[in-house]
Amino acid sequence: MIEIVFTLKSPPPLRVDMRGIAPLSVAAANPEAIAQLTVWHGNERVALAEFFAIKVRERRETAPTLRLVGDLARFDRVGWAMDGGRIEIDGDAGDYLGALMTTGEIHCSGDAGMFAACEMAGGRILVEGSVGDFAAATQPGSMDGMRGGALVVRGNAGERLGDRMRRGLLAVLGNAGDFAAPRLVAGTIAIGGSLGAHPAFGMRRGTLLLAQVQPQLTSTFVASVHDISVYWHLLARQVSAFGGPFEGLGARLPRRLVGDLAVEGRGEVLCFS
Amino acid sequence: MLVNGIAIDDTFAEAFPMKATRLIITAHDATWASHAAVSMTGFATSVIACGCEAGIEADLDREQTPDGRPGVSVLMFAVSGKELAKQVERRVGQCVLTCPTTAVFAGLDEGEPIALGKNLRFFGDGWQISKQIGDARYWRVPVMDGEFVCQETTSVVKAVGGGNLLLLAHDVDAALGAAAAAVAAMRHVPNVIMPFPGGVVRSGSKVGSKYSALPASTNDAYCPALTSVIASSALTPEIRAVLEIVIDGLTESDVSAAMWAGMNAVTQRGVEAGVARISAGNYGGKLGPYHFHLRELAGAQA
Repeated sequence: MIEIVFTLKSPPPLRVDMRGIAPLSVAAANPEAIAQLTVWHGNERVALAEFFAIKVRERRETAPTLRLVGDLARFDRVGWAMDGGRIEIDGDAGDYLGALMTTGEIHCSGDAGMFAACEMAGGRILVEGSVGDFAAATQPGSMDGMRGGALVVRGNAGERLGDRMRRGLLAVLGNAGDFAAPRLVAGTIAIGGSLGAHPAFGMRRGTLLLAQVQPQLTSTFVASVHDISVYWHLLARQVSAFGGPFEGLGARLPRRLVGDLAVEGRGEVLCFS
Repeated sequence: MLVNGIAIDDTFAEAFPMKATRLIITAHDATWASHAAVSMTGFATSVIACGCEAGIEADLDREQTPDGRPGVSVLMFAVSGKELAKQVERRVGQCVLTCPTTAVFAGLDEGEPIALGKNLRFFGDGWQISKQIGDARYWRVPVMDGEFVCQETTSVVKAVGGGNLLLLAHDVDAALGAAAAAVAAMRHVPNVIMPFPGGVVRSGSKVGSKYSALPASTNDAYCPALTSVIASSALTPEIRAVLEIVIDGLTESDVSAAMWAGMNAVTQRGVEAGVARISAGNYGGKLGPYHFHLRELAGAQA
């Protein structure tokens, strides 16, 4: 399979919308056609070759790969609605990284902006740095946030992490901002570090796992005392694989709090005393 | 052909395609896992009247189970995927869900999915919780000792049912001793079960009956009581007890390996232990596509 390497010439003056630049569709084009693919830069269409030096090379990987090299903090919607293949970002990414993606893998060695993995339905995203607000959340005007797949953030996450998330796995090894896991519908959110204010606000179902902190929850969360050791063993084994604060969690049994009863929710917050 | 003085008949066991699944039942300790597995595999000796054939494949250590608790591996076989799905749901619902502290998981990675906890979850009356972990979906159903965790589906694969050995002995003691030794050896073979009581059946059957309502009736050719009465008897006067071991396996080679292990265990005891012949049941080779020739197995054994 081929790897197409886009090396940034210089940061663009305006934000660039990378919608439509996905591994499968780009790999199907010849090198000349790839260079002429256009993206929105501000309010005009600009050829990719204006921003990047493009190189196509054969690789052993079975899936086509796009490698983006440079500071892409102004490049939004990388991997938008991605439906296969792999994207490697050697640097930072802009907003909406991997939003709406259904399959494939994205690896970002730096930070990602707001709305990373929002409404993602499948695949896997690994961000080595931090992500901005609204990661794995819903877009404005939409009912559901992340709907499947996995987002793993080795750094920190901003506010409204996993807002209205419905399915999938979201692991943040660092800290999370205010309103983590708000209005959670289902799925699993694991946070290794500290939390901002109002975690699990309006939570309906799903799991918020806190590896290190005792959350300040409202009185609409109540303790549940039954034995969850079987379920916990299954979940802990999955989460422990992310290492860091999650390593060895399976050896301890968490406290379980149920809520948010303010919205007749039956979600669970798992934490350790 | 003689092996340690025991005659190996020039015949073969005829086996049939079946559908199978493996379930992993775990519990707080091995005793409760065993209670659930024994209950679930009860009344599952033959598809003729039980709906399925089921048995305990192996006891599992904590390291071998998905939830790190002691467990039991169970194999279930039926004539169709639909019937197997029905039996799985009924038996897990009545025998595993009900047993204290148990959980149940799919034991095969590949195959067609059928419901395991998918419908049993409704026992939770709306309080059940779904959780996707990795590639598997689980259901957590609140019950009086905590929660019953079960995987949503289990996989069904093509399998082989009806491998068999007939042990022809001078008396009941010799037949029982040989059968027990054979079953003990066969239980070390993975992917197989011997579904009858203690792994052994004394009422081997033939297809059909003089009574039109019966699909099967006694295998008169191997009944010592009829040796001198019917012309079609396969026995000689010194054979006074015959026991059969039926084997169901996930693949043809699994059944073959189990038959080999069973024959080996019997022939190692020698003719002095009272078994004169080893034979097998078939229908002339016209009904089942899998044929296990005893002398080929014995040759491999030699």
